[in-house]
Amino acid sequence: MKLIDYAKNIGLLATIALMTNVNIVQAAEGPVDKGITLQPAASEVAHDIASFHNAVLMPVMVGISLLVLVLLIYVGIKFNEKANPKPATFTHNVPLEIAWTAVPVLILIFIAIFSFPLLYKEDVTPAKFDLTVKVTGNQWYWSYEYPDADGISLTANMLSEEEAKAQNKPFQFATDAALVVPVNKVVRVQITASDVIHSWALPAFGVKIDAVPGTLNETWFKAERTGTFYGQCSEICGIRHAFMPIEIKVVTDTEYAAWLASHKTADASPVQLAQAQ
Amino acid sequence: MSHAAVKHDYHLVNPSPWPTLASLALFITAVGLVIFMKGLVGDPLSLISSYFANEGAAISAMGQGSDAVQAALQTNADYNNLDAANKAALLDKYAGSKQWFWLLGKSQFLVLGLGLLSICTIAGMWWADVVKEAHAGDHTPVVGIGLRYGMILFILSEVMFFVAWFWMFFEQSIWNEARTLSTIPEVAEAWKSWPPAGVETVDAWHLPLMNTLILLLSGTTVTWAHHALQEGNRQATAIGLALTIALGALFTGIQVNEYGHILNHHAFGFGGENVGIYGSSFFMATGFHGAHVFIGTIFLIVCLVRLLLGHFTPKQHFGFEAAAWYWHFVDVVWLFLFTFIYVTFG
Amino acid sequence: MAHAAHTDNDVHSDRPSIFNPWRWLNSTNHKDIGTMYLIFAIVAGLVGGGMSGLMRWELMEPGIQVFNGGMWGDAHNYNVVITMHGLIMIFFMVMPALIGGFGNWFVPIMIGAPDMAFPRMNNISFWLMPASLALGVLSTFVPGTGSGNGFGGSWVLYPPLSTSGHPGPAMDLLILSLHIAGISSILGSINFITTILNMRAPGMTMFKMPLFVWAIFYTVWLLVLSLPVLAGALTMLLTDRNFGTGFFDPAQGGDPVMFQHLFWFFGHPEVYILILPGFGIVSQIISTFSKKPVFGYLGMVFAMGMIGFVGFIVWAHHMFTVGMDVNLKAYFVAATMVIAVPTGIKIFSWIATMWGGSIRFSVPMMWAIGFIFVFTIGGVTGVALANSSFDVIVHDTYYVVAHFHYTMSLGAVFTIFAGFYYWLPKMSGYKYNSFLGTVHFWLTFIGVNTVFFPQHFLGLQGMPRRYVDYAEVFAYFNKISTIGYVITAVGVLVFLLMLLECFIMKRKAGNNPWGDGADTLEWTLSSPPPFHQFSEPPVFEDKGGH
Ligand code: HEA
Ligand code: HEA
Ligand code: CUA
Ligand SMILES: [Cu+2]
Repeated sequence: MKLIDYAKNIGLLATIALMTNVNIVQAAEGPVDKGITLQPAASEVAHDIASFHNAVLMPVMVGISLLVLVLLIYVGIKFNEKANPKPATFTHNVPLEIAWTAVPVLILIFIAIFSFPLLYKEDVTPAKFDLTVKVTGNQWYWSYEYPDADGISLTANMLSEEEAKAQNKPFQFATDAALVVPVNKVVRVQITASDVIHSWALPAFGVKIDAVPGTLNETWFKAERTGTFYGQCSEICGIRHAFMPIEIKVVTDTEYAAWLASHKTADASPVQLAQAQ
Repeated sequence: MSHAAVKHDYHLVNPSPWPTLASLALFITAVGLVIFMKGLVGDPLSLISSYFANEGAAISAMGQGSDAVQAALQTNADYNNLDAANKAALLDKYAGSKQWFWLLGKSQFLVLGLGLLSICTIAGMWWADVVKEAHAGDHTPVVGIGLRYGMILFILSEVMFFVAWFWMFFEQSIWNEARTLSTIPEVAEAWKSWPPAGVETVDAWHLPLMNTLILLLSGTTVTWAHHALQEGNRQATAIGLALTIALGALFTGIQVNEYGHILNHHAFGFGGENVGIYGSSFFMATGFHGAHVFIGTIFLIVCLVRLLLGHFTPKQHFGFEAAAWYWHFVDVVWLFLFTFIYVTFG
Repeated sequence: MAHAAHTDNDVHSDRPSIFNPWRWLNSTNHKDIGTMYLIFAIVAGLVGGGMSGLMRWELMEPGIQVFNGGMWGDAHNYNVVITMHGLIMIFFMVMPALIGGFGNWFVPIMIGAPDMAFPRMNNISFWLMPASLALGVLSTFVPGTGSGNGFGGSWVLYPPLSTSGHPGPAMDLLILSLHIAGISSILGSINFITTILNMRAPGMTMFKMPLFVWAIFYTVWLLVLSLPVLAGALTMLLTDRNFGTGFFDPAQGGDPVMFQHLFWFFGHPEVYILILPGFGIVSQIISTFSKKPVFGYLGMVFAMGMIGFVGFIVWAHHMFTVGMDVNLKAYFVAATMVIAVPTGIKIFSWIATMWGGSIRFSVPMMWAIGFIFVFTIGGVTGVALANSSFDVIVHDTYYVVAHFHYTMSLGAVFTIFAGFYYWLPKMSGYKYNSFLGTVHFWLTFIGVNTVFFPQHFLGLQGMPRRYVDYAEVFAYFNKISTIGYVITAVGVLVFLLMLLECFIMKRKAGNNPWGDGADTLEWTLSSPPPFHQFSEPPVFEDKGGH
């Protein structure tokens, strides 16, 4: 994990360099206008992914592309018809060929060193998680359940443009019922779908997991700060695929407890309550 | 061709109408299949029946012609609630589907039949041309090698087709436990065991074993026929071939019989609740094999006829060889089916 | 010899008139069939390009402008358009152009054969394409979902959206359309393999074949081995839809994700099917216009083989988010990244071919060089995507759209135009106007980069793909992208103008318009080549160049 920390430091530099016109600290979290790199991260995993991208992948990608570009320009100048009327005839250069096989291998190993630990970190839910939420994808809305909390359940539909404006929320991200979770807690997400495949994506947490009918998939996240975060359905699911966003509210422990209590004491059934919201 | 003297042994085929016609036939077949399965126009009855008191009333109105239908609709409140444009659209749609239902409606098989018939006819003409060319001496040794490559590659692509069905079967048999994690409780329950609850697998050591022996035997008879042909013994070839065909037919008969047995005794069905995937992959894998046995048998019958017509010589009989290869391929696929579907996961 | 006057370079051949319909309908001539494939590809390219125009028009601004329930239909029709755009571009534009078109035209000639091994079968390979396309087009006019026409579930056809999600006949037509396209490709592939193995001229050993022939050889092997698996998967969809099987139906114990495995087992090799022929074309062009033999011929041959082989064992990198076991993911990450190595060998060998050469920046050469650069960009983002740890954040976003357009709409399409400008004089017999070709190149180069480069940013920011509408924050780069499309479209018009000018002016091209570097067999023939070339097999002498 030291490597990742190291990468993170470079990552910060790279991020700053790249995000010239991007305001990192944003009130409403999610994508940023004219942003050209990853969304602001809000979990350790997302930070790691950003660092991996900014400090490992980007330099490799930019480096290789530039190398190829520079070589092409160089041969274009040096070996065009005018500059070099008589072509050479060589067709082999063993050391060179070995080099351009071996060096990419090394680069790939270099990438893998960062990639694999991160993959396992993302994928394997920590043994000690604090709460579970169950997510179900439907055509075309999300429903959430809190199995640990007397099965509170919510149904989240996208807000219309007017509603969103009225609530001062971003249209096409805002929903009528946010998933509420406590900050700094490991949240285990179990996910399935009721009709076709959907995909539950929360870029700021580095989470994307398909909702497959008949299958219970699992992922996890741990939000590092409070706020409202947004994601969108990421698997084509029919006509309203673009209109089933994900809104998640990360709150403090006390706020969370209060929220739970307010849902539990309500005498209406949780489903009705959620729909009434 | 007339101009420069041709100094190679390759076969430059003359222009031929069959490819284009076959493509057209395939197009018609595809459309016909969709018509048969789904229909391209709606059922006129279902379009209007909701505006009638019951289906009977709608049917009787339809029987009296579209004027009667229109008149009857006029008295329906739901219909009168539609605005003018929707009314017109409904009537248009009704008139259209009434007119075309016999051809384009669900379960109509005229187009499909026409397509299949043309495919068979065109294939026949096409292969007749190939036979003619063979007799004209166009199949020089190098062309013969090409034909062999072609047949092998065709069989290879068929092998890959079966890979898909085996993959499907293995996925649910080897990893059957994965299904106990299903979010559908009944499915999870049913797959706790192998075979899954409700499925009574076929005993490999009865009919399937017999079929295995039949196919293995047919592999030897076809090889016998081949050797006889190479030695110029036409009579032995004919007997070998006829035996192979008989064995192939016997295999198909037994397979049909077994299917009937499975379905009648409700061991498992084609689809079905919770464990339908087992029946699906069982029937589709063995069914596609069965279809190949059927095609292979026809191929062998054609060869027998051609043999009796004197088409084959000890040196040149690629048509026969292709049929034999195909037969061996069908044989080997069966061995895999037998080993895995019937024995290992039986 | 009585016919001594008729050499292979004789233009007064027995070529039938181009206005004779039977010449085309009943053709058994590889060059005529190749021509039909190319024309078909151009038409499909215009249709598919037009559809991308509709998409970019819709995506120019937030809100629903085009698919708003008016003449272009609603959001479902947007989905239908992206689906058909993807399918048409892949199956009816790139594959027919590269394999059916250039492959048919030049594989037999390059190996010194008089035609393909099975000329009549060659013709059905072509004529199945219009049949298949017609079914696809028909599907957009019949009910798909309950209310909308056509199938709008994307070119990957995932169930349950393609089963219970689209109960109407549209999806069945589309399935059969793809079946027929598959049959066409399998028959074509059998033809190519047999031709290459069995019909090489004396002296033309396998390892003397031009790299384009090798490229086609590998490509068609990939087709023979992967397409039948797709055919199986499509058949399962069909029976699930119509005959009650439950392969992908969870209620019957089936698994929708299994379809994805089967699909991508075909789908990933498919992407190399789209690019390998282009690799071959680029090798020919780079060598021709550097006037230097290909650097590292053997390495190039084995690199392509390696790409093809490894291409079969990496498919699940399209499925990192389906909930696969983490160790399996790790395997697919590693295997996928391996492909960068042989691809790198090819990139560097092309550059080494140019190194020390005497480069002429002809129109085809510009496309080829442009290809090397844009394909590298598409390739390195592919390597980024290969890392599941990073892919979770950009999967199914515009980052992926940017990646695959860099490899296909820039990569593969650049090689198509490169090949077209390289061989147009040979095929038509006429020289084209290089100025128009140059303008076409620069407009396209600037245009498509403007379309697709900003899509990387959109993807990183999280804009999902297959969205008819998007939030305000994504407006800026979408606008730029659409502007890029307009530039590209002007480029396509210039391309058509170039074609028109070429066939109106009829400037004779001569046998070899490119000079010394062009040393493959097609340049020894007249332009256009005789209706039947090599009536006497050429004896091939290796000049060291390929
Ligand atoms: C012509 C088509 C083509 C080609 C050639 C490629 C090439 C590659 N592709 Fe791409 N890809 C597609 C077409 C193509 N792809 C399509 C259509 C999709 C999306 C389908 C859909 O969902 O609709 C897709 C999606 C896709 C995904 C899934 C993304 C997702 O859905 O989340 C991934 C993930 O691994 C991937 C990886 C790769 C890799 C590693 C390569 C490699 O082959 C690239 C290798 C090349 C290079 C790396 C550049 C040159 C090399 C060097 C200069 C050497 C040095 C380099 C290094 C050391 C890195 N591709
Ligand atoms: C080869 C494949 C190919 C090509 C060339 C293109 C070309 C283009 N594509 Fe496409 N695209 C796909 C394959 C391709 N695409 C696929 C597979 C998808 C995914 C679909 C899905 O999600 O299901 C997709 C999706 C896709 C999207 C995402 C839609 C969404 O997710 O909502 C967008 C959006 O901008 C887009 C835009 C464009 C544009 C502007 C072009 C422009 O470059 C178009 C300009 C036109 C040309 C450059 C072609 C010109 C060629 C000829 C005229 C033929 C010449 C022939 C000869 C000379 C023989 N495409
Ligand atoms: Cu739900 Cu897309
Ligand atoms: Cu891939």
